Amino acid sequence: MGLTFLAPLLLVASAAVAIPILLHLTHRERSEAIPFPSLMFLRRVPYRTVRRQRIRHWLLLVVRAAIVLLLVAAFARPFVERAGLGAAVVGEGRAVVILLDRSASMGYGDRWARALAEARATVDALDPEDQATIVLFSERADATTQPTGDRAVLAAVLDDARPLATGTRYGPALQLARDILDASDLPHRELVLLTDFQRVGWEADAQLRMPDGTTVRTLELDNGQPENIAATGVLLNQDEQGRLAVAARITRPVGAGAAEVAATLILGGSAVETRRVQLQSAGATTVDFAPVPMPDRSIRGEVRIESSGLAADDAYRFTAAPRETVPLLLLYHPNGRADERLYLQQALAIGDDPPFQLDLKPVTMVTPDDLRERAGVILYDAPFPSGQRGRALHDFVDAGGGLLVILGARTGAGAWAAEAEGVLGDAPGPTVDRAGARGGALSILDYRHPAFLTLGSSRGADFSGTRFLRYRRWSPPESARVLARFDDGAPALAEISVGAGRAMVWTAGAANLWSDLPLQPVFLPFVREIVRYLIVYRPAPTAREAGTVLDLRADLAARTWGPPSSAFGAASEQLVVEAPSGERFAVDDGTGYRVEMLEHGYYQVRATDGGQTVTVAVNPDPAESNIEALDPEVMVSAVSPTGAAATRAAALAAQLSPADKERRQALWWYLMVTVAALALAESMLAGRLSGGIVVPQRNRGS
Amino acid sequence: MTSTRFLDPAVLARIGNLELLARTVVDGFINGLHHSPYFGLSVDFAEHRPYMPGDDVRRIDWRVYGRTDRFYVKEFEADTNANFVVVLDISGSMDYGSGRITKLDYARFLAASLTYFSRQQRDRVGVVTFTDRIVDFVPASAKHLDIVLHTLDRVAAGGSGSLEEPILKITEALTRRSIVLLLSDLYAEPDVVQRSVGLLRARGHDVIVFHVLDPTELTFPFDEAAPFVDLETGERMPVVPETLRDEYRTQMTDHLAALGERMLHSQVDYQLFETSKPLDYALFEYLARRERMSRVR
Repeated sequence: MGLTFLAPLLLVASAAVAIPILLHLTHRERSEAIPFPSLMFLRRVPYRTVRRQRIRHWLLLVVRAAIVLLLVAAFARPFVERAGLGAAVVGEGRAVVILLDRSASMGYGDRWARALAEARATVDALDPEDQATIVLFSERADATTQPTGDRAVLAAVLDDARPLATGTRYGPALQLARDILDASDLPHRELVLLTDFQRVGWEADAQLRMPDGTTVRTLELDNGQPENIAATGVLLNQDEQGRLAVAARITRPVGAGAAEVAATLILGGSAVETRRVQLQSAGATTVDFAPVPMPDRSIRGEVRIESSGLAADDAYRFTAAPRETVPLLLLYHPNGRADERLYLQQALAIGDDPPFQLDLKPVTMVTPDDLRERAGVILYDAPFPSGQRGRALHDFVDAGGGLLVILGARTGAGAWAAEAEGVLGDAPGPTVDRAGARGGALSILDYRHPAFLTLGSSRGADFSGTRFLRYRRWSPPESARVLARFDDGAPALAEISVGAGRAMVWTAGAANLWSDLPLQPVFLPFVREIVRYLIVYRPAPTAREAGTVLDLRADLAARTWGPPSSAFGAASEQLVVEAPSGERFAVDDGTGYRVEMLEHGYYQVRATDGGQTVTVAVNPDPAESNIEALDPEVMVSAVSPTGAAATRAAALAAQLSPADKERRQALWWYLMVTVAALALAESMLAGRLSGGIVVPQRNRGS
Repeated sequence: MTSTRFLDPAVLARIGNLELLARTVVDGFINGLHHSPYFGLSVDFAEHRPYMPGDDVRRIDWRVYGRTDRFYVKEFEADTNANFVVVLDISGSMDYGSGRITKLDYARFLAASLTYFSRQQRDRVGVVTFTDRIVDFVPASAKHLDIVLHTLDRVAAGGSGSLEEPILKITEALTRRSIVLLLSDLYAEPDVVQRSVGLLRARGHDVIVFHVLDPTELTFPFDEAAPFVDLETGERMPVVPETLRDEYRTQMTDHLAALGERMLHSQVDYQLFETSKPLDYALFEYLARRERMSRVR
């Protein structure tokens, strides 16, 4: 039984017990004289020093001291903890939270087996009154059950548990454990922390203290000096000849001395090349494998190193697809010269992320079929097509295509067909000549726009040296977003949303006539980023990190050009996902077509009614490769409660009903009754003792 | 005899009339005595005894001789009518009592009871009160019962006490052999007491000494340190009772033992009375003992 006090400071008054002691030590000398028949015999007693500090009437002293102490205890409001006497009110038992780390690093050595064994031992040791919750955590934490005392349920959870490929974050797990313990009504709380204390998962300033009264228990999983080498990434590069060059990143986060490891490139299940690399402690290196011919289909690949430490990061998996160009159509004025388009063509031809396939056609010759399977259209100093061609272009943009309109000398007011107004608003105005001075300049460029995020973070994206001698005045529609303006306030670049597509209007041409922008280094990324933005270019990653949530419709099914769901069939409503472990599950509109990829390996996604199968390579969180451990004491001290017992008592009291509170504090009442009884006894005892102190009743005197 | 018949001095103290008090005590006592195996007092019992050579032949009871043909001496009733004189110490120390009555009250009750009792035996009764001098002197007479009781009723204690000098004067004043009952707390050296009592014995008086003490004087149960005041001299003395108690008791015990020894040696009936004891019980104890002593003598 735990006994504490609601007002423990009042216990200081216990010092008052010294009062009766002093009283009993002090032989009070009566002020009035006691008449006595004769002092004859008293005079005969020889004088001697008398030690008077001697306790008299021990029984009376004990009674009086007990009265003082009990009175003080009663006023301090004794409070019964939930255990013991309070059990009748609040019950017995423990609230146990088992935090079981299932991050990838738990696969190192026998950590997982030992942690699992400890968890099972904890479950087996539960008393009937106890309630336990198993929280499996890695990057996020999941309470697998409600608090329960059913050991079979808890054992089943442990049977199904296995380490994942995700990273470690202690914050959410500790937060969840605290919430569970805080919500518990049981009088005892225990946190069992079964983890490898991976340093990368711990934030130094994390302050997640458990509720008062919680005991924190850990398991030592240290396997001695950690050693691990990991394949943490690949860079795929396909040249124009269709050869695939793979460069792998091999790291050694922990380990002593130098180490040598063999790295093997495996494509389509066949080992292609093996190279040996030297790694220093806490070092990393890149292995360049020789280019290999790339088949005309998507293949699986991986870079595998010799087993070292953590097995999960011994291979880095990826998928490689044949080089695919992005089809663009450039529409020019029939009278336009080829050299006027040179800079733009060259800018789009350079680079392979993505490689653009640029087709040229006079705007007067374009047909609706030319727009089919196009990612984007560039209307280069040409009037907006009218009639059927104009409607086709409008529909193209409206369906999700990208349109870049570059105004020039041939795109005056008369070149703006009626169909253009639904897309681009009012027709362009006259040109503005700035040749008189040093030319105009861009005064505003919205670097926060997604198209220019890359430029904004690049030192080379400098437009300050660009001179604009002429540009066309144009009033964008209300719905447009002006991304750049000249120094006189005229719009230079504006974005217009048209249905599912995007359109941009650039008012200063793209030839080296109206400005020197094509000569500036920033021209090439400027053009490519605009086009990438307009065609909504999202390259499919070659590999994903465990823990990523994959939106199958957005990330796989929909291509940036072409109709959505083409990969799985237009009518697909349900997709089947097969995890690396072999587990299969369906995703549909009810789940939002979202899959959280927690295992490392290859996920396969296919439609239930046919269509092609998409493979997704998933690799462990690279941070898990650093298996360096934190001193467990650091975490234990950070999460252990610091509150005093009184705080715990107050917290318990706060959870109780008023009747329970009163009942649990009723001890003071019994103390007061005891005090009253003792006071009565004291009165009788004192009276009896003082009755022996004879005082003459009558002394008439003479 | 049951304890319920004992008369509590504290109860008796409520009786204002001393004669009534004495009658209450004595009547009860006599009634009790009639049922007692002990037989009367030698002072009030006439008897015949065999003639012994040297006896006055005039005391021979010829009528008994005529019936028995043996000589018996007749003790005349007139010889049993003795003087009974109460000598009461009324010094300041007697005005002390831890209970409801003081030693003087208790002694007064004893004196009144025995005086009344003696008068019932047709003895002549008188009283002398003294401190360090004679305060009241009522000569023994058959008609002085009322005066004696009145004197006892009005005495008040006070002043320092002395034993030898007043008793010397009493000795000089008592011309006839008397039964002298000395009531005092005897705060004097045993030798002085013996010497004083010896004066009375030397004159042929039958001396009875009732040593009246309060229980407090015997046990000294005081607890708190306090100045103690001598009731006779007014002397103050700081006293820590707990340190003196044992030695005080030893002194008192020795004193009582010495007195008892001295009184026995002087052939004086000595009896210690605690004021907490019932009056009739105390009297009975004394008289029974005196009866036994008289048989021995």
